[in-house]
Amino acid sequence: MLRIENLSVSYGAIQALNDVSLEVPPGRVTAVIGANGAGKSTLMRTLAGLEKPQSGQVIFNGEVISGRKPEDIVRMGIALVPEGRSTISELSVEDNLKLGGMWRSHAQRNASLTRVYSLFPILKERHHMGADTLSGGERQQLAIGRALMTGPQLLLLDEPSLGLAPLIVTQILELVALMARDSGLAVLLVEQNATVALRIARTGVVLNLGEVAGSGTSAELLASEELRHIYLGTGS
Amino acid sequence: MTFFDHLLGGIASGSVIALMAIALVLVWRSTRVVNFAQVGQAMFTTFLALAVYRGTGNWLISLIAAILAGAILGLIVHFLVMRPVRRQDGSGAIIATFGVLIALQASASMIWGVDPQAYPPIVDIIGFEAFGRTWPFSRYDVLVLGVTVLLVLLLSVVFTRTSLGLRMRASAFNPTVARLSGVRVSQMLALGWALAGSIGAIAGVLIAPTFSVTPYSFDILLILAFTVAVIGGLDSLVGAVAFGIGTGLVLSLVSGYSDSGNASIVALVLLALNLLLKPEGVFAHHHSRSV
Repeated sequence: MLRIENLSVSYGAIQALNDVSLEVPPGRVTAVIGANGAGKSTLMRTLAGLEKPQSGQVIFNGEVISGRKPEDIVRMGIALVPEGRSTISELSVEDNLKLGGMWRSHAQRNASLTRVYSLFPILKERHHMGADTLSGGERQQLAIGRALMTGPQLLLLDEPSLGLAPLIVTQILELVALMARDSGLAVLLVEQNATVALRIARTGVVLNLGEVAGSGTSAELLASEELRHIYLGTGS
Repeated sequence: MTFFDHLLGGIASGSVIALMAIALVLVWRSTRVVNFAQVGQAMFTTFLALAVYRGTGNWLISLIAAILAGAILGLIVHFLVMRPVRRQDGSGAIIATFGVLIALQASASMIWGVDPQAYPPIVDIIGFEAFGRTWPFSRYDVLVLGVTVLLVLLLSVVFTRTSLGLRMRASAFNPTVARLSGVRVSQMLALGWALAGSIGAIAGVLIAPTFSVTPYSFDILLILAFTVAVIGGLDSLVGAVAFGIGTGLVLSLVSGYSDSGNASIVALVLLALNLLLKPEGVFAHHHSRSV
């Protein structure tokens, strides 16, 4: 579904990503883990079109998408939930959701809205309230809901656990994993918290200083020396 | 003249100030730039409208010409001046708007000259007569107030009830999230400049019959509209309307009880007080803003 080939991105003299290659299959969660500054967010921002790659390419459903604008990439079926609470606090909950996928037909958008409300009932309950009145966990649900409103085939989640209570993180991520399995949605999940990410992802990639340091199934990665080395500074 | 008379006399000029402040707010919301050329654009389109009026003899056609010219001029300023300087820091963009203002005033002076010109009112500008006296409120004031109210209602419906309005608001509040949601933010930006240009043009045509039209006679409107927009919170249409009309009333009182030359001084005092006491603006969404 999504193939990343030899992707390099730099901010001036700083090389944020170096020769990263990776495949994201449909119907499951793929985790990208790594420490702070490993290039995880840069990877997500580049996939969504917010950063331009220096070299390499991103291919989605057979089409090269790297270098395109974010508003075009989201129309092709890739939705990013950026780091932090990516909701618009000046708008109501429902307006935040309605903003997603305005180019789609009325029927499609209504179906998506019904689905988002059934996934996250709290959003339906609060649909008239300002997004700034929501709690952190509710706002993260709203951010994911807005992304789902665009009718994505690939959902990019950047650090959804940041600043949330572990119980809420588990609830939200389990919902995402269920959605991936049931609807064929591909999910690329970026997390600093490797245990959380690998618990719901089937496969994962470890990024270290902008390069792929390892990949494999979640079980393999959890047991791997490389991961220990990067996170705990042990091993060789 | 009684206190009430002075208040009545300030409503129409307050409406025009409000419209001009709305134009500033629309550009500020989408680009975070105070467009000091806005009043220059309105001056220029008013001269164009005057030429159309003299040619056709039809006031409505001249107003429509001003609205179209305002939109086009707004787009020209946006694409030719503001987009190229957008990579600069904020002060670069603001200085650029002053450059546009000076260029427009110089061009208008060359094309139409600096001699005062009269813009004939479409309806009676002499006050209504009732109860044996003339009131400081004319048919023309009714027209100005009516157009302002209509425009504000129309704008609020577009902004709060339509998908276009939602896209424009989202682009203004958070362009990144708007783009990630699929909104073509650059189009919304251009639309904001065009809309502001048209509203400014309407304000220009409405106020023109009340003074002599010269390339520089709109400058006072810039000071007043800027003050109103800042006090209202720059983000807020409601603030622009409320403080626009309020300022019209205050200025009418000031010039009624002292001298009309004091009006701009009072406006600047109000601005200074606002920046000292509540710099984020009375109706602002955001609660921190550096000044």
